[in-house]
Amino acid sequence: MSTTLERLQKLFIARFTFKTEELAATTTLEYLGLDSLNIIEIMFDIENEFNIRIPDRELREMKVKTIQDMVDALDRFISEQDSKQDAGSSSHH
Amino acid sequence: MKRRVAVTGLGIISPCGNHIDDFSFNLMAGMSGVRRITAAYAGLLSVKVAAEVDFNPLDYFMKKQVSGLDRVNQFAFAAASQAWNDSELSLDAKEKERAGVYIGSAMGGGNTIEYLYDQLFKHYADRVKPLTVPMIMNSASASHISMEYGLSGACLTLSTACASSANAIGEAFRQVRDGYVDVMLAGGAEAFLTYGGFRSWEALRVLAVEDPEDPSKSCKPFSKNRSGLVLGEGAAMVVLEEMERASGRGAPIYAELFGYGSTSDAGHMTRPSLEGQARAMAEALKEAGLLPEEIDYINAHGTATPWNDLLETQAIKKVFGDCACNVPISSTKSMHGHTLGAAGAMEFIVSLLAIKNQAVPPTINLDHPDPECDLDYVPNIGRKGVTVSTVMSNAFAFGGTNAVLIAGKRSCVGGRSRRSRRNPETVDANR
Repeated sequence: MSTTLERLQKLFIARFTFKTEELAATTTLEYLGLDSLNIIEIMFDIENEFNIRIPDRELREMKVKTIQDMVDALDRFISEQDSKQDAGSSSHH
Repeated sequence: MKRRVAVTGLGIISPCGNHIDDFSFNLMAGMSGVRRITAAYAGLLSVKVAAEVDFNPLDYFMKKQVSGLDRVNQFAFAAASQAWNDSELSLDAKEKERAGVYIGSAMGGGNTIEYLYDQLFKHYADRVKPLTVPMIMNSASASHISMEYGLSGACLTLSTACASSANAIGEAFRQVRDGYVDVMLAGGAEAFLTYGGFRSWEALRVLAVEDPEDPSKSCKPFSKNRSGLVLGEGAAMVVLEEMERASGRGAPIYAELFGYGSTSDAGHMTRPSLEGQARAMAEALKEAGLLPEEIDYINAHGTATPWNDLLETQAIKKVFGDCACNVPISSTKSMHGHTLGAAGAMEFIVSLLAIKNQAVPPTINLDHPDPECDLDYVPNIGRKGVTVSTVMSNAFAFGGTNAVLIAGKRSCVGGRSRRSRRNPETVDANR
């Protein structure tokens, strides 16, 4: 199965036509020339790909400079959601 | 003191070509851009013909840009870049503050609006494309152009239905003439060939019936068997520049913008008024300091609806009097369709090309003259080798907004003296 980084790279390539080698984990979003509107667009793709919805408040708290920051923030968000869901489903049983 | 205004750049995205030379050639050759549409919903429509633009956004933009641009923005942007490059302008930071953008569009980001509603109401999407707001904003095209070229004077969007871009150019002309700015990028764009767009026009019962033998001949302005308008899309942009600045840098000058008439019928939403149209033409002539007989070509609004063509003919007769029969008039909508908010600018460019080429494009599909439309509409075959130094371009919109632009070359053309615009008494009568 693809890693979070690989899935992100695919999204960046599909939307912005970057090459994979430009999308190293340490690459900053600023280096890629992405502005605030581009970030909103890629977040839309990320939410679709990972089947999540990141609330505005949480998005603002994510301090994302590099692609690796994005990977970490996503992994954290997804695992938090999973644990919330587990807690939620166990309480029903 | 009022300053003179030159047109120094042209750009076009149209059903008759996406380059000025192609556009010019095709119109002179009477080549229609009207076709049967191929969209999936075509079978549902009662009228299946339109003048579509053949356009691949990736020929003009990076993929990264495209997703944030409605089709109307793409057209506007592409036409503006042609006009800007054509003008060969290069402005420093201070000069950019004295340069502005006026764009006309009747419907704005119609494709994005339709996609939005489709997603929400048909597919029950819980969210929509992230850049939906900046794509449906009517002013997005003007803002994109302002950003691209750093033009930081006035940046406005005018929406007066089918007169939008004629008004944009006319108002931009006044900005330069009255000294607010030195350069304006002005024109219009429209991309409303959507299912909802077709249905809306169909409902108004103004669309042409498809020609049974040849769909490309469905738009028949001034013909007795005209049955309505054919929808089109596209964009047309011009660069306007203060005359001394333009001639000082040796810019290519297509023409001088002489006058602009802007009136409202204050009458009916869709039925045009002879008086309102005539006043717009008369005002433009007055501002230009020209007599009717000094106009060498009229690009008519000529939508091919029964009412428009009859009333426009009568309005021209009212203003031009005895010389109405002498001036060649054409409706190039017969070829590029009715491009709504882009129409005024597109047809203004057609008029400027008549000066450049000393040639007048035809009104095609005019095989059955209407006794009530009895002027010289240049039927079916364009005329080359004619003297064209002063042109009038008409745009008459739903809502009763009328905009007329007059442009020309002030100097002698073909050895014939033109009258001085500042001294109306010194009329040279050898015309």
